[in-house]
Amino acid sequence: MDAAVTVPAPWLRIWRAHGPRSLVGLICAAVLVQAYVVIDARPGDILTGVAGIADIVRRGVPPDPAVLGPALYQSLVTIDVAIIGTALAIAFSLLLAFWAAENVTPGGPMYAFSRSVIAVFRAIPDIVWALLFVTAVGLGPFAATMGLAVHSIGVLGRLYAEAIEDVDMASINALVVTGAGRVQVATHAVLPATMPTLIGLTLYRLDTNVRSSLVLGFVGGGGLGFAIENALNLFQYQRLLALLIVMALLIAGVEAVAVALRRTIH
Amino acid sequence: MADPLPAGAAPDPAPRRDPEPLLVIERVTKRYPNGTVALQDVSMTALPGELTVVLGHNGSGKSTLVRCVVRLVDVTAGSIRIAGRDLVALSGAGLRRARADVAVIFQSASLVPRRSALANAATGCLGRARGLRTALGGFPAPELASARSSLERVGMAALAGQRADTLSGGQAQRVAVARALHQRPRVLLADEPVASLDPDAAADIMQLLRDLASTEGIAVVCVLHQLDLARRFADRIVGMRGGGVILDAPAARVGLEELAALYRAED
Repeated sequence: MDAAVTVPAPWLRIWRAHGPRSLVGLICAAVLVQAYVVIDARPGDILTGVAGIADIVRRGVPPDPAVLGPALYQSLVTIDVAIIGTALAIAFSLLLAFWAAENVTPGGPMYAFSRSVIAVFRAIPDIVWALLFVTAVGLGPFAATMGLAVHSIGVLGRLYAEAIEDVDMASINALVVTGAGRVQVATHAVLPATMPTLIGLTLYRLDTNVRSSLVLGFVGGGGLGFAIENALNLFQYQRLLALLIVMALLIAGVEAVAVALRRTIH
Repeated sequence: MADPLPAGAAPDPAPRRDPEPLLVIERVTKRYPNGTVALQDVSMTALPGELTVVLGHNGSGKSTLVRCVVRLVDVTAGSIRIAGRDLVALSGAGLRRARADVAVIFQSASLVPRRSALANAATGCLGRARGLRTALGGFPAPELASARSSLERVGMAALAGQRADTLSGGQAQRVAVARALHQRPRVLLADEPVASLDPDAAADIMQLLRDLASTEGIAVVCVLHQLDLARRFADRIVGMRGGGVILDAPAARVGLEELAALYRAED
């Protein structure tokens, strides 16, 4: 109460009015400056180097049509890695999600276990998981598939759990009081209510996984990514350009299909 | 027609019912961890074939009582017996079996939104129909047939295939009654089942509950706010205030004045 009577010193008034906000601004600026220095940014090089990019594209013209045949199969490999990786993830992440969702969890060790598995699987990137699996099963699509699957279990587990937590508790309770068991409540109330959301999330993940599968190809996961990596290493720019065109079409195609499917379920 | 007196209290002119109460609530107290006492020493019984209406202010403990009976809320003290089985002591599979004897109708119909009216009614069987089929989200054929006749019973057979989220409030609540009926319960609890319905639909639902009590011999306990519906349909009226029972009498003997007193501002 006394403070209302005494007038604060001028410096204190200025600090109260502008201090905290200026401090946040200063910290943000400092973070940006150090990052710019650390990444060794040289914008001038982009301008002088544009010629290099243009040179690769020029050497790639005309794209080599001979790669189209093999590229179709390689695209299939890339897509299939994503399909199996996503499919494997669906089953496991659904189970984990039911244990991890606050509103239907059996609680105790199952809750802790599922939450930790989801967190760890999601936190470690798919490329790291894939490299781990390479040490077990060697280079190739299988290691890439397993890497995608494990990371996707974490991602889908978390997304599914959030979708389940959004289900109206009234319909769940209504079934619980009929004497329905945990599994019955899941299949008769939770799944029917969340199905469109779950399918939407899964399609989105499949779409993302196709792109991840391309990247995993670069590190030996096979498929289109591996072919691009090879063409690049062997300076075969005409093949490279053809493969990049196929890649662009593949990504656009998969996304178009995913969008169309999502639209039909809503 | 209905005899609201406890067994032995008066000569029964037509002793055609089992006089043993199906629901016995004995000295139930519910105290929440924050110290709030929602129920204080509540005792009441419900007889087969009888419709008991529980009246009282918001916050008088009516809904908590319903939730305690089905163990959505755990009681602090006291016992709740359904057909002789003490629910308070049960857990796990025993609790699930005991719950199958008690059907509940909530204020909102609480249907699963994206399933048909028929599938929603059929979920009433989940307490007894265990096995792979129901675990995978299906129903045994006989249960579906019987769920269909439950829908017929509530006048919803024509809309059996319609998705629950496209039904009107009154229709949805009928499906909820069908689900409760399909459960083949001994005791039916209804927590303000007509609160969100128009007067006609409300009277229809109350008539349904009234009929179910009489024809199936179910003990129906219905929490209400509508005094007119209570007087029209109840065999017995229980009045609650401040977490305790302050009135428990045959409906015919409860005067308007007594009912109005239940809702008078607390002092």
